[in-house]
Amino acid sequence: MKAKVGVYVCECGPNIAGKTDLDEIITYLSEFRGFGDVELVVRKYGFLCSNQGKEYLEKEIRDLGLTHLVVGACSPRDHDSTFKDVCGKTQLNPYLYKIINIREHCTWVIDDMDKATEKAKSYLRAGIARVLYQSELFESPIDVNPDVLVIGGGVAGMEAALALAGENRSVTIVEKNDTLGGRAGKLRGFSFQEFNKPEQVEKLIETILGNPCINVFLDSEVTSVIGFLGNFEIEHVSLESKVITELFCGSIITATGADLYETTEESGFKYSESDDVYNSMEITEMLSSGDEITLRSGKEPETIAIVHCVGREELGYCSGVCCTVMMKTANMIKARYPDIRITQFYRDICLPPSGGQELYAAARSSGVNFVKVQSTGLSGTTVKFKEKNGDEGEQFFDMVLLASALVPSKDTPALSELLGIPVDETGFFQEAHRMTNPSATTTDGVFIVGTSQGPRNISDSMLFARASAGQILTKLLVGEKLVPEVAVTEILEAYCTGCGNCLDVCVYGAIYPDEARGISIVNEAICRGCGNCYGSCPSGALRTKHFTNIQLFREVDEALR
Amino acid sequence: MNKEFKPRITSFLCKWCSYTGADLAGTSRLQYSTSIIPLQVMCSSRVDPVFLLKAYLSGSDGVLLGGCHPGDCHYETGNYHTRRRFALVKEVFESLGLESERLKLSWISASEGPKFARVANEYTEEIRKLGENPTRKSIFL
Ligand SMILES: Cc1cc2nc3c(=O)[nH]c(=O)nc-3n(C[C@H](O)[C@H](O)[C@H](O)COP(=O)(O)OP(=O)(O)OC[C@H]3O[C@@H](n4cnc5c(N)ncnc54)[C@H](O)[C@@H]3O)c2cc1C
Ligand code: SF4
Ligand code: SF4
Ligand code: SF4
Ligand code: FES
Repeated sequence: MKAKVGVYVCECGPNIAGKTDLDEIITYLSEFRGFGDVELVVRKYGFLCSNQGKEYLEKEIRDLGLTHLVVGACSPRDHDSTFKDVCGKTQLNPYLYKIINIREHCTWVIDDMDKATEKAKSYLRAGIARVLYQSELFESPIDVNPDVLVIGGGVAGMEAALALAGENRSVTIVEKNDTLGGRAGKLRGFSFQEFNKPEQVEKLIETILGNPCINVFLDSEVTSVIGFLGNFEIEHVSLESKVITELFCGSIITATGADLYETTEESGFKYSESDDVYNSMEITEMLSSGDEITLRSGKEPETIAIVHCVGREELGYCSGVCCTVMMKTANMIKARYPDIRITQFYRDICLPPSGGQELYAAARSSGVNFVKVQSTGLSGTTVKFKEKNGDEGEQFFDMVLLASALVPSKDTPALSELLGIPVDETGFFQEAHRMTNPSATTTDGVFIVGTSQGPRNISDSMLFARASAGQILTKLLVGEKLVPEVAVTEILEAYCTGCGNCLDVCVYGAIYPDEARGISIVNEAICRGCGNCYGSCPSGALRTKHFTNIQLFREVDEALR
Repeated sequence: MNKEFKPRITSFLCKWCSYTGADLAGTSRLQYSTSIIPLQVMCSSRVDPVFLLKAYLSGSDGVLLGGCHPGDCHYETGNYHTRRRFALVKEVFESLGLESERLKLSWISASEGPKFARVANEYTEEIRKLGENPTRKSIFL
């Protein structure tokens, strides 16, 4: 069939028509013979994006039997999809159309009418050349599963589950422990923020367990994850009975929390199990349960040291919550045992805006001693320290409490592998984008929340949990189909040597090896069409649909004609 | 040098940052060099060495490759690959005795309309000084 390309130039009021000689452009292109026997229909129209404009275009495509369409108008960001939708209503495949950005890239930046006219001509020529090499592509919407899997039942996981269940989503929580609640669950009588009145975690757990939309598996771990956004197949195993359960869902929230840093002898912390040295979790659990604060000998301590920033130097980051935890700890001990003498060895004190300062002031006024140091170490319960002025000192205490940093939970590497999501330089799960997309990951449909993503307090953990629930609710709509990107990359079997270069380049893990055939294959459901893999292939086996070399080459050639 | 020389700079701009930066230059009505011929690609990493060579051999006086700032690529690590590949092509250019200044890589974010206009103008001046792409003169290689 002979190609018949419709070229419609939008006037956009004075924005385009006032800055170029449209009639001159139309005459030039109508008489242009550079495309062989391709028939060109070149017309202008007032406002193509108006309802009348769209109807006009639709009618033109139909009545004239256009095989390709070029619209000279504004930026694709404004109206590419508008005209794509117009094509969708006609016989013309939307991938045989192209919008040419005359407004933003020409008339708005070139005051000289002649120059702008010349420029517009070359852009349109290039567009026509390209569109002739575009191919039909067909979007095939797929059914999506709106259900959600939440891995980890701490406050972050529970909050996400509740937010989703509130919108009638079915949620499954797979929790490794024998109870829900995570760290906050163990600290019911302790926590330092408003949320943390003890009964609140309790209430959250009860609400979860009573919610018909939420299914909880305790003592369980996820063992297999396959699929992609909208269609994941999961297996989880009961750690007790070893029974494997299969589960289908459309998205996954990872809320597996963080662990506490463990000191080493090399970093100057030398003590044994029998010494009265406790980390922040151990002491806060004691305080939280209301147990007596006693030494292993059964005696009440007279002196307690609190050592801050344990692990901070080695890890290279501040955990942000430990200082507040320790202020609260000191205050609680002082309230119950006013005679115990407490000394805090600190380097910096990092307090959150809400309430931290008050806790610090209270600790000061109750007589807690603060010593600013450069570095600390331990030998049994003797604190060794280097003061600000460089002097070294040591002091014996009955009991030592360590404000240990939060570190990635020990399951993080395995989960990272299982879910195909990367970790950052600190070893915590890495977000898709720190500023613009902080709870998504590079794997579409997999989210990270709470302290699995880095140290943070309860309210921040819950905030991110709600944010990820919100993203899922808007991305995966019940009953709606998902249209996967069709301008994806494919591998031409005949050229592929199976070298595997492209596998390493794709951050989305969209390419996998087909060992039997000795080639690589793109999973089109995962590929985003970025085209990065293209440059890694030594055999020219890759082809990015809608961005093929020939399309771009023709565009370049015609623009430069 | 030919007084009439009007440089032509083929510009591959990634959809998410540089192309949008160029749009912003337009929305802000910044006047910049007419030498720029903007072409959209999904990511700067789609522009493999072949594209740069092709644009050069087709007669571009300069080839500009625009991407998101390192760390901001819409596809996470795309532009790190771009950076490496670009450096390689420059070397190849030099070893072939071609002027590697004919190729330029610039990071322009979606909010840097003025930077886009500035890069366009500065690069045009640079190319003007270099003169016409030698492949456009009849005998070459
Ligand atoms: C000593 C201490 C005191 C603190 N005090 C406060 C405070 O007073 N106020 C405050 O706001 N913040 C406090 N924090 C911080 C607070 O604990 C966290 O912000 C919060 O608990 C994070 O919740 P989460 O759900 O992300 O993680 P977690 O509470 O750690 O929950 C993670 C859950 O995931 C489960 N899990 C882990 N791996 C797997 C797996 N592979 N499969 C299935 N399940 C898994 C765990 O068993 C756990 O139940 C404190 C932290 C510490 C260490
Ligand atoms: S389609 Fe674009 S160029 Fe045309 S009137 Fe609408 S906004 Fe203006
Ligand atoms: S185009 Fe991008 S997402 Fe698709 S396979 Fe290549 S590198 Fe991966
Ligand atoms: S880089 Fe090219 S040849 Fe190598 S596996 Fe990928 S597609 Fe095949
Ligand atoms: S999307 Fe802009 S450089 Fe990758």
